[in-house]
Amino acid sequence: MQITLIQGILLALLAFICACDASWEAFFWFRPIVVAFFAGIILGDVQVGLAAGAVAELSYLGLLTVGGTVPPDPLMAGMMTTVIAFTTGQSAETALGLSLPFALLAQWVGIVCNTTFAGFLRPLDHACENADTKKFTQIVILGLVIKAGIYALITFLSAFALQNQIAGFVNMFPEWLIHGFEISGGLLPAVGLTLLLVVMLKKQNVAYLFIGFLLMTFLKLGNILPVAIAGIAVAFIGYLNDETIKKNAISVGGGADDDGI
Amino acid sequence: MTVSRNKLTKKDINKMSMLSILEQSCFSFERMQAPGFCLGLLPGLKKIYGDQKEEISDAMKNNMDFINTEPHMATFLQGLILSLEENGQDRALIKSIKTGLFGPLAGLGDAIFWFTLLPISAAICCSLASGGSVLGPILYIAIWFLGAISRLWFGRMGYNMGVGAVDLISSNASAITKAAGILGMMVVGGLIPSYVSLHFAETLVAPGGVSIQAIFDSIMPNILPLGFVFTLYWLFKKKHVNTLMLIILIILVSIVLSFFRIM
Repeated sequence: MQITLIQGILLALLAFICACDASWEAFFWFRPIVVAFFAGIILGDVQVGLAAGAVAELSYLGLLTVGGTVPPDPLMAGMMTTVIAFTTGQSAETALGLSLPFALLAQWVGIVCNTTFAGFLRPLDHACENADTKKFTQIVILGLVIKAGIYALITFLSAFALQNQIAGFVNMFPEWLIHGFEISGGLLPAVGLTLLLVVMLKKQNVAYLFIGFLLMTFLKLGNILPVAIAGIAVAFIGYLNDETIKKNAISVGGGADDDGI
Repeated sequence: MTVSRNKLTKKDINKMSMLSILEQSCFSFERMQAPGFCLGLLPGLKKIYGDQKEEISDAMKNNMDFINTEPHMATFLQGLILSLEENGQDRALIKSIKTGLFGPLAGLGDAIFWFTLLPISAAICCSLASGGSVLGPILYIAIWFLGAISRLWFGRMGYNMGVGAVDLISSNASAITKAAGILGMMVVGGLIPSYVSLHFAETLVAPGGVSIQAIFDSIMPNILPLGFVFTLYWLFKKKHVNTLMLIILIILVSIVLSFFRIM
């Protein structure tokens, strides 16, 4: 399917808005599930947007910006997974693998911005010196707009200007190569989940991982909510136990003092 | 010269919290969130000091050091700082409180928003979306809108607690982080069978006519996705492989497996 000029411009606008939120991490509109949903609406094929959003969201789940690192870009992954699935007619899983170069390009843009924006600190310091709050605000907003503008430009070029080249390239692929990308689409969410584990997994809580896994494997639950509620219950029990232990420790300690030992 | 200080109202604190949406604008590796963090304080500082430029300038400079915290919870720190400024606390003290708290707050915020709310909301909304329901993304947007609104509450809390905040954070951070860890683990455990899809092609048969996949299923369903996640974990943790290399490797191996009709 073709993307029209109007759609290309709207996608660029969407990228601009979501890229502002990607800087802020405020409303989570930069997450693939949201970006792909709106991209699907713009392209007139909501189902493609939903499928692309679901598969990209999970793959980029663990690739967090925590601590100032810059991972492959979830916004561009959501955007280009949708665009590629739409223009080539391939499945969302296949399109996810093909969106990786664009996510990497956006990651690189993020690193370049984070490095060059250090140059904005001198004028900002100068504004502080003069208590010039207006100037200060303008410079901060300028940084925001520059970064989001680059995202919009990349999106316009990749989604509109290069769409025939991308679709032509993908349609040359033999069937086994397409299926290979589909397999990787099923495996990539594991990277997202593993990266969460790398940060969260401790000896004290590894047991809960297996409980969650077994609940989901054997209960045939429709979604994760029942597991989450079970998790809240278990965490609450643990919290109450800790409180009791803490209280007992204090009273035991106090008793010893009274005895003058 | 004596410095006069005006009182802030609830409205001023809400304004600060709303402005904190911009906290990560102009992010740079040198001082990370400093520009956006300082920006959120400006209306409050202007109200407190009026036209005493000297004081505003000093307070601004005091907040231009390196800071990197969780954006939702940054408002807690901003509210705290405004309350200290309003009460005429020593700026060196303000700076040391800020420097001491942004790390623990980042840990707390990451545990709540990134490691608990994100996996749970993504899992629920993705299962709706992959079933073809527009409710998936709409619910996701609604959940995170509430998340964004929570900054108003954090801001008010920081402002109201003033110096007392330091004790509260250090005594409760570990309990909340621990509870969030348990919940997060259960959810991630549940996500593995739901979203990691790894199975051999049905045409792949062991000698004797039993399909390879059926053998694994009889041991335990979803044992392959679980094993795959732990293999990746081992590669990250013990071999320190690069994330990007791993993604590229997975795509290449998938293509090879597809070519030989193994999967």
